[in-house]
Amino acid sequence: MTTFDLLLQQTINGLSLGAMYSLLALGFTLVYGILELINFSHFNVFMIGSFVSLFVLQSFGLSGQEVILTGVPLAGVLLVAFVVTMAFCGGLGVVVERVTLRPLRNVKGPAAMITSIGVSYILFNIILLTVGADSKNFPNPMPAIRWHIGEATLDFRVLLIWAIALLLMGTLYMFVQRSRIGKAMRATAQDAEAARMMGVEVDKVIMMAFFLGSALAGAGGLIFGLYYNFTSFIIGFTAGLRAFTAAVLGGIGNVPGAMVGGVLIGLIEAMGGQFIATAWTDVIIFSILVLVLVFKPAGLFGRIAPNKS
Amino acid sequence: MLTRRQTLLAAAATFIVGAAGFDPAHAADKVVKIGIDLSLTGADSQGANRVKNGIVMAFDEANQGHAVPGYTFELLVTDDGTATAGQYDPAQAAINARKMVADKDVVAAIGPQMSGAGKAMTPILSQGGLATITPSSTNPDITSPKFAEQYRPAGKPIYFRTVTTDAYQGPNMANFLAEKLKAKSVYVLDDSGAFGVGVADSFQKQAEAKGMKVLGRDRLDPKAADYSAILTKIKSLNPEAIYYGGVTQAGVKLAKQSYEIIPNVIKAGPDGMVSSDLLSGAGFPAVEGWYTSIAAPHLVEDNKAAKFVAAFKERFHDAPEDYTITAYDAALVIVDSVKRVAASGKPVTREAIRDAIQTAKVPTIQGMVSFDENGDLADRTVSVFQVKKDATKPLNDVSAQYKYIEVAPQS
Repeated sequence: MTTFDLLLQQTINGLSLGAMYSLLALGFTLVYGILELINFSHFNVFMIGSFVSLFVLQSFGLSGQEVILTGVPLAGVLLVAFVVTMAFCGGLGVVVERVTLRPLRNVKGPAAMITSIGVSYILFNIILLTVGADSKNFPNPMPAIRWHIGEATLDFRVLLIWAIALLLMGTLYMFVQRSRIGKAMRATAQDAEAARMMGVEVDKVIMMAFFLGSALAGAGGLIFGLYYNFTSFIIGFTAGLRAFTAAVLGGIGNVPGAMVGGVLIGLIEAMGGQFIATAWTDVIIFSILVLVLVFKPAGLFGRIAPNKS
Repeated sequence: MLTRRQTLLAAAATFIVGAAGFDPAHAADKVVKIGIDLSLTGADSQGANRVKNGIVMAFDEANQGHAVPGYTFELLVTDDGTATAGQYDPAQAAINARKMVADKDVVAAIGPQMSGAGKAMTPILSQGGLATITPSSTNPDITSPKFAEQYRPAGKPIYFRTVTTDAYQGPNMANFLAEKLKAKSVYVLDDSGAFGVGVADSFQKQAEAKGMKVLGRDRLDPKAADYSAILTKIKSLNPEAIYYGGVTQAGVKLAKQSYEIIPNVIKAGPDGMVSSDLLSGAGFPAVEGWYTSIAAPHLVEDNKAAKFVAAFKERFHDAPEDYTITAYDAALVIVDSVKRVAASGKPVTREAIRDAIQTAKVPTIQGMVSFDENGDLADRTVSVFQVKKDATKPLNDVSAQYKYIEVAPQS
């Protein structure tokens, strides 16, 4: 492999990872932007998303790698899987917010964050105890079409995953920028009290942020399954922590920042594996987290956080 | 008339006796407890449950057949797998070891399965004077006199094995790759665990001694999902083979992704890769062609094992693996040791049982089991397998999908 092909391949690897981190990072950023809360239950909403989509795909009779779909059936199955998974995870996010976080809304200090850690462990253990501890084989219904650029390969499914991630992120961005409720979300993020006085239903806005963030985490879970063809109850933590780092890198609270941060973390992971060693991945990524927090706490794109003054 | 309190007490007493399976013939039997530590939670759970079932079967047979007159075996089963680790967790293994040592009725133990757990348990077991027999943990440091201060601070060996160690498992696989598959270059990976690092080290050393070119060495984070970066790097180095030292948590993902990225490279791993968790998690075609070893002779297809395999299938509706049999054998050694101590008229204490295990010569399914002065198995056979799909059998059946090749060449 030439150096160019190698770099190209690692860039493809990094972008695929990055797409997943971006989808997850958006959930952290949406909620943080509005509540200034790091929602740790998000990790395992992502994990549950991969299991929900696994069940959806299995209910279509897909298991293992034997059944390959193309054209309309593939599009139909994927559409149903994405819609069901995102609706389920979005709903789960709303329930988590309503049941465990809203009662703590006005409690000062880290109570809400610690509660979200507790919820995360509850979700994690529910899956462990009901689905089991072993890695599950995740079906891959996509045809094995590959393009070769020099010695680098680009899979059809990688391309499809990028396209879906981009579509979801673009839709979210437009939604936040253009829609009425998106405007309300931005207003709440700037100053919740003032927004409330201007007639914004803050509870509804917060619920929406949880719904959107969790739905994207669900989509991330499905993409994870399609990309790696496995899932397990444990996948939330590593991916979640790296996505959180991505959100901080991009500027937590900042929607485009989370997208770019996710892609950067993905690329750093791929290049680190190539030029340093995979064993050092976590050291590299979390050193970046520390450096960003120390030298540029607002992240690359600036932090958009509630204005409490 | 009974008071309410007396009625309750009577009911409770009836319940307790009933729950214990009251049997007048054994009413006076002394209870001998055996501590069990396995990785029942996490990535290796399927294999662990088979090991547990193998042990349960051995002690049930011993109790039913009154193998040791006057004594009944009871099991204290502990789990060293935790949800946060997703596989064996050395910290939990240490807690389990303390639990066994604290229970004065526990006179011997079986386990752990994983060397990482073993390293955490041995100092505690040694101080408690409690001997254990592992059916599958192969890291040689634990029993090596070089590390006696660390792993057996109280002096006597307490860690016995019904499998051989990675001092043979890693190097013999290197011999196999070099001599039989004529591989000239290899890239070595491990999963950061005590077992994985150790077996990869011993493999690497022997591979170099055999003249294979070791193109690099890296470590996988078992909790990370993506190994495409390192696999792309390996692809660019173009080795003829890769060797992965580790267990299934990283192994599942490695098998999947290496099938995509480096499909034509020879892939080999140790006994950690012989598992139905791997077959069901990674699935075909990703696992096809992997070479693996076990630190024991191949047993499940052996005629000597036929009776056990049939009984196991009938009771658990599940096929045993080779390490299910080494676990069953470990239980046989313990039953035999208790029997010898009881027959000699001495009290059945931890010390007496340890000494009895040390001098054991027990006919088992794998043949005569005896241990050297450090607790290692006298028989040093390493067997090599290759995953080859047999569509007529369940795809996660280890004995059907791993084809036995041969005993790996000894150095």
